[in-house]
Amino acid sequence: MAHSKLVRDLVAAIGAGAVKAEPVDLTLFSKDAGVTRGEVRAVTFPVDAAGVSAVVKVAKRHGVPVVARGAGTGLSGGAVPADPSVLVVTMRMNSIEVDADNGAAWVGPGVVNLDLSRHTAPLGLYFAPDPSSQAACTIGGNVANNSGGPHCLAEGNTSVHILGVEFVDADGVVQVVGGLAPDMNGLDVRGVMVGSEGTLGIITRVLVRLSPIHPAVRTMLFAFSDVASAAATVSDVIAAGVVPAALEMLDRPLIRAVENFVHAGLPVDAAAMLLAEVTGHPAGIAAEADLIVATAERHGAFDTRVAADQAERDLLWKARKSAFGAIAQIAPDYYLHDTVIPRTRLVEVLEAIYEIARRHELLVLNTIHAGDGNLHPKFAYDGSDPDQVRRVKAAADEVVRVSLAAGGALSGEHGIGLEKRDLMGLSFSAVDLDAQARLREAFDPDKRFNPGAMLPAGSRCFDFGRVSMGSPLDQVSTRPGVGT
Amino acid sequence: MTALKSTVARLFGRFAAEVPGAPRAEFTFAPTTAEETAAILDFAAEHRLTVLPWGAGTHRIGESWVPDVLLSTRSLGGIDWRPDDLTVVVGAGVTVADLEARMADRRQTAVLPENPGPATVGGVVAAAASGWRRLRFGPTRDRMLEVVAATGDGRVIRGGGQVVKNVSGYDLPRLFTGSRGSLGVITRVCLKLWPQGSAAATIAVDDAERAGAVIHRPLAVLQTPGGVAVYLTGTAAEVEAQAATLGGSPTEGLVWPDRPHGPVEISLRVPPARIGEAVALVAAAGFVAAHGVGEVLAAGSFGAAEVSGWRVWAESVGGGLVVATAPEGFGVDPWGMAPPSLPLQRRIKAAFDPVGIMVPGRLPGGL
Repeated sequence: MAHSKLVRDLVAAIGAGAVKAEPVDLTLFSKDAGVTRGEVRAVTFPVDAAGVSAVVKVAKRHGVPVVARGAGTGLSGGAVPADPSVLVVTMRMNSIEVDADNGAAWVGPGVVNLDLSRHTAPLGLYFAPDPSSQAACTIGGNVANNSGGPHCLAEGNTSVHILGVEFVDADGVVQVVGGLAPDMNGLDVRGVMVGSEGTLGIITRVLVRLSPIHPAVRTMLFAFSDVASAAATVSDVIAAGVVPAALEMLDRPLIRAVENFVHAGLPVDAAAMLLAEVTGHPAGIAAEADLIVATAERHGAFDTRVAADQAERDLLWKARKSAFGAIAQIAPDYYLHDTVIPRTRLVEVLEAIYEIARRHELLVLNTIHAGDGNLHPKFAYDGSDPDQVRRVKAAADEVVRVSLAAGGALSGEHGIGLEKRDLMGLSFSAVDLDAQARLREAFDPDKRFNPGAMLPAGSRCFDFGRVSMGSPLDQVSTRPGVGT
Repeated sequence: MTALKSTVARLFGRFAAEVPGAPRAEFTFAPTTAEETAAILDFAAEHRLTVLPWGAGTHRIGESWVPDVLLSTRSLGGIDWRPDDLTVVVGAGVTVADLEARMADRRQTAVLPENPGPATVGGVVAAAASGWRRLRFGPTRDRMLEVVAATGDGRVIRGGGQVVKNVSGYDLPRLFTGSRGSLGVITRVCLKLWPQGSAAATIAVDDAERAGAVIHRPLAVLQTPGGVAVYLTGTAAEVEAQAATLGGSPTEGLVWPDRPHGPVEISLRVPPARIGEAVALVAAAGFVAAHGVGEVLAAGSFGAAEVSGWRVWAESVGGGLVVATAPEGFGVDPWGMAPPSLPLQRRIKAAFDPVGIMVPGRLPGGL
């Protein structure tokens, strides 16, 4: 087909091999792993900051926004253009330069999370954030969303592990913020870039902190006959002053779906199971493990299993991280929210979620990063049935409201993106959102980068009243993808 | 000024305060809420009065200017400790010592600087001051879950949230950490807490590099003119086993060194692998070097040329040198090279402080 002037200019800037604009490409890249779809004008694959800068300048000349995309595993629409946009796909920016002496590495944003840790493993080092999609998701996407994962309970979200960021700004200029030395001078621009969802610039290199691999690890599974006992175990472990490496919870519908999918020998008769892991010095983890076992047994755990070796550990984690794929067996579609609640409120909020599901006659399956109160309730449904879509939408809205009412937050690790943008007003005042919008303007006054993401329209200047509840499911179009 | 003074007295007279040790500003206030703080800042912005937020005055860096308005945070109190959630919501004016003492009975800590003296939580956050334990727990900014601040244009804003994991909106808690009052006055923060190990030990060793290699995630590895010490915490079994690996004789508890004091006090900040070279520069003086972190605090009767030379080296290896204290007329800029992102930082400051009343010129590059 005849290409537009925009596409011809992009080809002239970075070469024909780095630009795709056939209808099949534009469709393929119009969505991420979530439920929203956007419109793409051209897909670009620059190999370095100079290439990204060239793309940004061409797009600026044409007045077209730029949206960054890693592997497209995001669930909140952070890489889905709200307006017709040029996509910068980061996958070809995938170099890894390890600086073992400083326990760090400069990596391209297109490096796959798990590939980085595999690359540095021979040095005894790894990149701690481990989203469940880590076999596919990229470091750039992790930085953009400040991603988490089961092990961020003890290791912290991505921001803790990012020392510096190189990015292309709205004028196409390459900026570097942060660095190897502690407490770099001036305002923490690095801190703001992490979690900014592609709205402040296009990240072209990341200086990551690498952590020493723990010499010892113990992975345990506990089965409970009721959900409240599992949740109470979580609360009591944290309250006892133990922060395990990970503390994950699955409820019965999810246990059964996963067991069918992975065959890990999960307790299919349990109402809920906990997957707990402790890491550290061999002499240190024993006491933590003992405390967790004792707490679980006090709350009636009827089956305790300690992974005997690495193969069994890997199998248990594969089970946990396959949750999203497993649901596909049950219903054609699922919808989840990624809310966070104070970890002491787990029991009551979970009960409220089950009540919401019952009232709307929906099946809800729960995987929970329980240790840090990060909920991922998933409502299974069939997107071809408008009545089911309506009920799921109502239920999802209620989950958000219940979580916020418990003192929680809109998103723990998936990001706001397009999906929760219009819910931001439930969490923040008009003044708060105006400050966020001003901060964005300091980087990108003309909103060239991912203009639809994160902040609701009208955040600036108080020109909105109470924000209406969003309706991301209005755009439902797809089957589940890779999740965290 | 007389008319202005009577207006100020009428509007804000109830917040007037005496703050010993602080610069004698035209107006000194100690508001009790974020909203009161914002009202004062709104007035100051309208009348273009410069403002200096003041906690305990423990983190001033090479400055002697006198603001029009001094805003003491001492009346911004309150500790809402949630031990079962491992979080605490704390007013900016609460002292670090009071906060940590309050949480000691459940063996929890916000991992703020050890031996903080009169420093306040707000001051420590605004200065991004971190303790020695940052090697294990990260810097103070990694504790920041939520910030409430009165901005330079007189508004109360909140960023982040009171849960341990949150990616809703831009990371204002981290942006305000280390902003040194340039964006507004931090009035309240929510911090992530950590449990303290049941055992702790300090072990003298000969070789910091070897210690770093054989010990799994120590709290700190500090070098002073007296030698190198490794700081451990965890269960008794763990501390004992790690101490045995090191081979030294452990002292029970964490025996932190004093921060060095002298006529000139500097902080060298370099990539961790360069710390040996940084130590060599200041070896004749009083110093504490944080191995694995890359910071060397040093104090002595240094000359301006000497300090400038060290700065040139530090900046050449990707670090910097901050002059925290120096005699009047020392003639060395406290910060050194302006960050390359200075124009962007200017726009960020203007987003929160459009008139430019908050500590003008205090940040690197004259920001």
